Amino acid sequence: MLQLIADGFVIGSVIALGAIGVTLVYSILRFANFAHGELLTWGAYLAWTALLGFAAVWGPMEPLGPFSFGWTLLASLGVAAIATAALALLVDLLLFRQLRRHGSAITLIMASFGAALVLRNLLQFIFGAVPEYYSREIQVAIRLVPRDVLGGLRITPDQLFVLGLTAVSVVGLHLFLTRTTLGKAMRATSINPQLARVTGIDVDRVIRATWIIGAVLAAVAGVFSGLTVQLRPQLGLDLLLPLFAAAILGGIGSVYGAVAGGLIVGLAESLSVPIVGAEYRAATAFIVLIAILLIRPTGLFGERP
Amino acid sequence: MTALRVEALEAGYEPGLPIVRGASLSVESNEIVAVLGPNGAGKSTLIKAIAGLVPISAGRVLLHDREITGRAAHRLPHEGLGFVPQTENVFVNLSIDDNLDLAASILKVPKKRRLGELYALFPDLARQRRLLAGRLSGGQRQMLAVARALVGEPKVLMLDEPSAGLSPKLVGIVFEKLVEVRATGVTIVLVEQNVKAALAIADRAAVLVEGSTRVVGTARELANDPQVAALYLGHHRGDT
Repeated sequence: MLQLIADGFVIGSVIALGAIGVTLVYSILRFANFAHGELLTWGAYLAWTALLGFAAVWGPMEPLGPFSFGWTLLASLGVAAIATAALALLVDLLLFRQLRRHGSAITLIMASFGAALVLRNLLQFIFGAVPEYYSREIQVAIRLVPRDVLGGLRITPDQLFVLGLTAVSVVGLHLFLTRTTLGKAMRATSINPQLARVTGIDVDRVIRATWIIGAVLAAVAGVFSGLTVQLRPQLGLDLLLPLFAAAILGGIGSVYGAVAGGLIVGLAESLSVPIVGAEYRAATAFIVLIAILLIRPTGLFGERP
Repeated sequence: MTALRVEALEAGYEPGLPIVRGASLSVESNEIVAVLGPNGAGKSTLIKAIAGLVPISAGRVLLHDREITGRAAHRLPHEGLGFVPQTENVFVNLSIDDNLDLAASILKVPKKRRLGELYALFPDLARQRRLLAGRLSGGQRQMLAVARALVGEPKVLMLDEPSAGLSPKLVGIVFEKLVEVRATGVTIVLVEQNVKAALAIADRAAVLVEGSTRVVGTARELANDPQVAALYLGHHRGDT
């Protein structure tokens, strides 16, 4: 039981970080971006590319303490975050920005499907379809709770790293949104873009910040997924529905809702495995989603219309 | 000194389809000027074009003799032009305090001093500063919208139909407040459907018809002009 909860939190961390980007783009740019999953995949692969680059210069990665990865993966994560943000800004410049001027929300949504296809196929063309790993080090899981207490709990240092960095990212985002002028401007723009403009907010700058934050968190989520599972071109596509389930469940537009939604979806998936089997676990997230929306149609943290 | 000058302005939402067609307006410092006119005359489009929200295709806008034609809407509050939209003019999910605090952060004005001054001007808002703006009554919400637009200490404050949706009593209260705002040295441009209320506080008024200014005069002249009354006040010559 405890083990399933811990596993659920690890899966939920990846989903939560991805869902934040979905919900931020929805609240500020007012469309559901179905290409967001691909930013996770690109983030994961860009980090892998940077890791290969570092390995070519400094030799193979040396594990850092109990972790399966070394400092070069942390540096690669930074490189991937910057490169993924640049990719998101490029897609916005070439596609979404043009459509924002004249298109409707449905045009943007359909364009995001197209962008997802292009990004996924381009990635597969460049990197191939064979799964990859950041590290092939075998990790010894740490026993935190003995087996006779609720089935016990073992967790790998990498999983603890994922949970810790997710918590740091969410707290950092909270402080950014509530304490900084740009963060407050983002909240204001999500409430009322026209009023934001006449209040003196540069909405184009807010849009750029939205893409950057969403993409950086997507890169972190992609690397986490690669670290705890594996790297494969379908990584983002497989996570897309859980990301949207989490964003909607939490109340689309709410960052805190996306985090709560991500953790709930992760827990639902993990806890359902012994009952329905691993192959149907994705469906349980949607059963939870439907149940919550029936009770609270605006989601957990959603504003009433 | 001329605070705001609009010269032969053409503006509209679609290229080639101007709604404002050659409107001109001159507003002296510390005046209250009302822009009146029938429905569809282009009053709101004119004020939104000045505020940078509607594309301008011809003409000029000068704020204290500095050209601001077509400047992005978000730049204008930094340059001394405040704007209160007709609807959705407060951040409903934020408290009164956060609405004002946000504007102060964006416009980089000393928060403590400026919010203190505004709460002194709007004591009703000060009493419930933690209340969400979405929970305010129509009159209070309009007061907050005005206060928010004043945070950056604008030289010129433009309001788009501040009386819309308010009871006659509340219209009186809001308009009295605008007179108090003017007393602090702010020039006010007011687009209004409520002609009587607007002329009661305005020094001068301009009547806009089919996108261009037709009549400009003092409020008294316009209130007593039978032609204006017949066209725009709903009175006819000989009515008692």
